[in-house]
Amino acid sequence: MLSFVKKWGLLAAALLLPLLVKGTDLSYLVRVGGIVGLSMILGLGLNFTLGYVGLFDLGFIAFYAVGAYTAAIGAAYGLSPLIIFPLAIAMSMLVRLALGVTILRLRGDYLAVVTMGFGEIARLVINNLDAITNGPKGMQVAQLKVLGLAFRNNDYFYYLIVASVLLCVLASKRMEDSRIGRAWVAIREDEVAAKLAGIPVAQLKLLAFTLSAAFAGLAGAIFAYWEGFVTPESFVFWESILIVSIVVLGGMGSVSGVLLGALILSGSPQLMQAFLSSAWINYRYLFFGLILVLVTLFRPQGLLPSKRREAELETLQ
Amino acid sequence: MTAGAVLLEAKDLAQHFGGLKAIDQVNLTLREGEIVSVIGPNGAGKTTFFNVMTGVYPGTRGSIEFQGRKINGLACHEITALGIARTFQNIRLFHNMTALENVMVGRHCRSYQRILGPLLRLPAFRQEEADIETAAKELLGFVGMLSSGNILAKNLSYGNQRRLEIARALATEPKLLILDEPTAGMNPTESQDLVALVRRIQARGVTVLLIEHQMRVVMDISDRVVVFDYGVKIAEGTPKEVVADARVIEAYLGKGA
Repeated sequence: MLSFVKKWGLLAAALLLPLLVKGTDLSYLVRVGGIVGLSMILGLGLNFTLGYVGLFDLGFIAFYAVGAYTAAIGAAYGLSPLIIFPLAIAMSMLVRLALGVTILRLRGDYLAVVTMGFGEIARLVINNLDAITNGPKGMQVAQLKVLGLAFRNNDYFYYLIVASVLLCVLASKRMEDSRIGRAWVAIREDEVAAKLAGIPVAQLKLLAFTLSAAFAGLAGAIFAYWEGFVTPESFVFWESILIVSIVVLGGMGSVSGVLLGALILSGSPQLMQAFLSSAWINYRYLFFGLILVLVTLFRPQGLLPSKRREAELETLQ
Repeated sequence: MTAGAVLLEAKDLAQHFGGLKAIDQVNLTLREGEIVSVIGPNGAGKTTFFNVMTGVYPGTRGSIEFQGRKINGLACHEITALGIARTFQNIRLFHNMTALENVMVGRHCRSYQRILGPLLRLPAFRQEEADIETAAKELLGFVGMLSSGNILAKNLSYGNQRRLEIARALATEPKLLILDEPTAGMNPTESQDLVALVRRIQARGVTVLLIEHQMRVVMDISDRVVVFDYGVKIAEGTPKEVVADARVIEAYLGKGA
């Protein structure tokens, strides 16, 4: 857990970033920051299932796609963003709920394989459903305008993303520190013991599974507006792997860990692109693989593992 | 201990795994406030019996009524909510949660806040969380572990892990507590402490059913003893009656002595 000062210092730095780099040749950092922020939201979403409950999910990017395409299609129909954002979140959760009802009785590797399959199917459906998604040609998304405020450049989206990350962090922390959050972790630790301690395991798995998609749907909608364009190629298998890696690298079930994981795994390729010659960039996945192998070997609990809350024990004695 | 009203009644209960009759034709009545021990050689079907009662196995035949309500076929968590809690032969704690949190998890079925309460930190949610914590602390104190509340379960001593499992089970407010070999791996002093704890649990108004191998503990604690062998109940009675029973001696020592 970050200390109070560190936490607010980091937040201040994040808020000041666009002002500091404005007009300099570092201004691309705002865009990098936005990309990292979207990864953070996705990572925090996956953290509900992979982190708290321990359900392996290799197709999470599909729900990012559902959010993005819901936004793109909604915008094409001229819906207001005030409707589109909730709609994107709701659609993502709905699809996830339907999937969860059918596959959550699977465990471990089997669940991973089926979610991976779903991720690919979702992409192929989008690719082939020309009438609705315009297939591989992709869809234009009109400029985001909320209550007369037009999102003209990266700075606007950057702040929207920072605000969303904060909201997601708050939601994660609050769910974590509740009877539901404790029940999730209990399921991860020992499913049989959790059942017999009175936890409706299937129901709570489905709840975590569905809630995680809210984050993906939100990120997807922001992404669609920001890019102004969506295509199936943005939602490939590699992206799902990236999000899983973010959670594993940072520490499963650890909010600050996920944020750090996203910063490293999603930020570093962008920075490598800026600083290193193109010959090096081709090796970046190799570099990722190396990081993950090293973490698994030497720090399996992640870079910033989750810490359990300490209670005041003196009150009763 | 005078026995109260019928709490649980198993009739003609059977659990078969293919051709293996893990338990068969078991009839058992438990009355409120009793401490009943189940004994029998290894593989006699004791743990299977517990598993059927708590919903882990569905049961092949027969019925279990708990307070007049049929419970076989219900999910584990529903049975727990009705008031049957248990511990495990091989300790099953939530290892990476603190001792206090382990007990707090046990309060799940007695609390109700779901999503909006936690997200918006509504007053009802705060109150419920405070109540969960208070109840969990009270139970940790009851099993003598309050000072270990912030220690991760995996880092607790063996004896404390056993106690913590009992505290977690008690947190579900059971009417019937099922203990699967609670003194396994304990030395005589620890066993005695555990016997004292079981008595205090009984004094809280909880009926206790336990599997136990240490005969000293069984003789000391039980109002009644039930003996299993090869999946069937071969004897039942007071501890004294049971140890004198020819079928029990035969089951443990063999015939022709």
